[in-house]
Amino acid sequence: MQGDGNILVLKKVCKEFPGVKALDSVDFTLRKGEVHALVGENGAGKSTLMKILSGAYVKDSGTIEFDGNVVDIQSPKASEKLGIAIIYQELNLINRISVAENVFLGRAPKKNGVIQWKKMYKDAKALFNSFDINLDVSKCAREFSIAQQQIIEIIKAVSINARVVIMDEPTSSLTDNETQILFRIIRSLKEKGISIIFITHRLDEIFEISDRLTVLRDGCYIGTKDVKDITKSELIKMMIGRELKQQFPQRNVQIGEECFRVEHISDGSKVKDVSFYVRKGEVLGFAGLVGAGRTETMRLIFGADKRTKGKVFIKNKEIQIKQPKQSVSEKIGFVTENRKEEGLFLKLPVRNNIVSVAIDKIKTLKILDFRKEREFCEKYVNDLNIHTPSINKAVVFLSGGNQQKVVLAKWLLSDSEVMILDEPTRGIDVGAKREIFEIINKLAAQGKAIIFISSEMEEILGVSDRIIVMHEGKISGEVMKKDFSEQVITEYAFGGA
Amino acid sequence: MQAKAINKKKNSFLDKIFKFINAMGVWLVVILFFVILSLSTDTFLSYANLINVVRQICVNALVALGTAYVILGGEIDLSTGNMCAFTGCGTALLMVAGVNMWIAILIMLIIGSLIGALTGAIVTYMRIPSFIASLGMSYVILGATLLLTNSEPISGLPQAFMTFGRGYIFDVIPVPVIILFIFFAIGAFFLKYTSFGRSVISVGENPIAARLSGIDVITTKILIFAIGGFTASAAGIVLASRLSSGQPMAAGDVGLTAIAAVFVGGTEKGSAMNVLAGAFVLGLVNNGLNLLEVNAYWQKVALGLIIILAVLLDQIRASRAVSVKKK
Repeated sequence: MQGDGNILVLKKVCKEFPGVKALDSVDFTLRKGEVHALVGENGAGKSTLMKILSGAYVKDSGTIEFDGNVVDIQSPKASEKLGIAIIYQELNLINRISVAENVFLGRAPKKNGVIQWKKMYKDAKALFNSFDINLDVSKCAREFSIAQQQIIEIIKAVSINARVVIMDEPTSSLTDNETQILFRIIRSLKEKGISIIFITHRLDEIFEISDRLTVLRDGCYIGTKDVKDITKSELIKMMIGRELKQQFPQRNVQIGEECFRVEHISDGSKVKDVSFYVRKGEVLGFAGLVGAGRTETMRLIFGADKRTKGKVFIKNKEIQIKQPKQSVSEKIGFVTENRKEEGLFLKLPVRNNIVSVAIDKIKTLKILDFRKEREFCEKYVNDLNIHTPSINKAVVFLSGGNQQKVVLAKWLLSDSEVMILDEPTRGIDVGAKREIFEIINKLAAQGKAIIFISSEMEEILGVSDRIIVMHEGKISGEVMKKDFSEQVITEYAFGGA
Repeated sequence: MQAKAINKKKNSFLDKIFKFINAMGVWLVVILFFVILSLSTDTFLSYANLINVVRQICVNALVALGTAYVILGGEIDLSTGNMCAFTGCGTALLMVAGVNMWIAILIMLIIGSLIGALTGAIVTYMRIPSFIASLGMSYVILGATLLLTNSEPISGLPQAFMTFGRGYIFDVIPVPVIILFIFFAIGAFFLKYTSFGRSVISVGENPIAARLSGIDVITTKILIFAIGGFTASAAGIVLASRLSSGQPMAAGDVGLTAIAAVFVGGTEKGSAMNVLAGAFVLGLVNNGLNLLEVNAYWQKVALGLIIILAVLLDQIRASRAVSVKKK
């Protein structure tokens, strides 16, 4: 045992993915029995770091010391053996078996190979009681609320001798009351000398529960502070200030009158009373942290999910949208965030994909006209510079950027007046990104109203005419072009300073 | 780089052969079987036998056509076999009760389509997997058939009705073949030349993307089941005509054979003609094994293995196609 009281010391940890340096020489120290918040914007490297600790990724270089010994975490098993437990946002309990079975999964008390149910229930009960929690351990896991399930998972982890518990946004789906219960558990873990790494997008919680915090930005270590020595706005200053390298193509478009308006749209859980408008030729950016409810808002507008409340107007006329097909006929286009799952028919040829929305356009007397289809497809393949040997090639063989252009093409062919682009540049290379930005400019020049969601700060500042920032399902701020700055956007993204 | 180029040249002849095989697809297997059977038996090429083969294939192929729509749309329908028996018996009962033949046929085709649509509604609105929904419907239909017929064959059908299963046009072409031809022409046309056909393929490939592209996924799915019910009903009527009676237990495993025919034909390309070829392969195997006097029980074993082998070959072909395209 070492005297300095550190359970975990990371030095110069690096991790590179093709084309991205996800972690660049990151240092991190965790003391015994402390709650340590890990903070940063989207893509700062928090999850990569946690995945290295939990064994999901293997670091490229650097050292990890656990309890004074240099360790090599090659797999999730190795991490578990050391005593590192990670509680994910998605819960990992098995729904249909009892709490006790979940806690003792794979290590149930046995006698001659037979599970001793009585002992298992008794042990489980005692375990929960030691944390002052009273629950029926014989009930199925699914009968408990998300908060309770989370607590069950934490206690399970501790019972497997976890000494470091990593919690990835544990409070994101909890009510205030439930959050307080969780914090009580965290405090009692602390008393037992267990260390906690706490990732959250709620700055208030950092100040409430943590002892220290470490800030990451663009994969780099920025600094570690005692929570009592720092203010909220100082913290935000630490998080922002990344270098702006990308160049964005110029756009000279006269913004016209209002074209699309949304009023008080809600879904009862993830989207709360969102209202906004977009004008012709305008690019309206939607910024926010991942999970702020931007995609959910767009899905409600498009009719992909059911809304509980809210109205949508095109040119001041209310339109009824209950199904995506109604949005399509109202000329709303939606380039979804996951192109492979939601945007493309991967095994079908480029031509099928491009005409999938505006199929009526390629008909002659109700019959599909393959000559028209070919002409339209070839036009878009040329216009958007889609690299494909032929329009008969299945889209699964195209690169990410070209696949995205196919998705854009299908909405362009349908003459969409309002274009919703949800993370259109995700997972595509720099050259293709620039092409996408140029397409956005062209669309704006044609007088279309564009809603542009992006989690990349640079991009949203570079492409938008106006930015709406969302935080936890609500609009937390609207920023005009003259006021664009990283500081302002980040403050709103974290719910306002 | 140079070595690679040489390698490529060497492969080009193989590639050409492969391209040919790929284009011909399962029809090549049909031709292969045809040649083998012509050479190994002296009875196969006789007019009587060929007509017999074609007539046998008709019922299976008709069911397979509708089943192909269901499978392309990403679902499965296990109820088509019992549907055949149901409509066959239903038509027979109506005619025996004095209903005009054409009206009896029309009524049963409509009922068959509606039952199919009901299966589709159960799958979409109640979100019950089609495997289970159609299995359940299959028993309901079987039960209904047994209740209606009291499990006895319905005979005494009008002479005109026999034409569908046994008649000839110009004394050469069997009527069921004409029916088959018309059905496949329409089926292939709808699949290839209408937006409905495109919707079926899109929905089968990715229902989420289809919905977000404005395609009415629910209606499409209900329609494919209705088509499945419709062609199964038509097949049932042809079958009853061939047997000169409504046989409650006649259909046997027609539904499963139809599913096999679709997979043997290969759904990858979404072509109705491949389905026809799949039905031909199964029909030829059946006939060939009979002519070669293979034990009836062994025939079943062989048929099962051939189905698996055919799909395996199709998969190898598809993955080969992928690797060629990647070059």
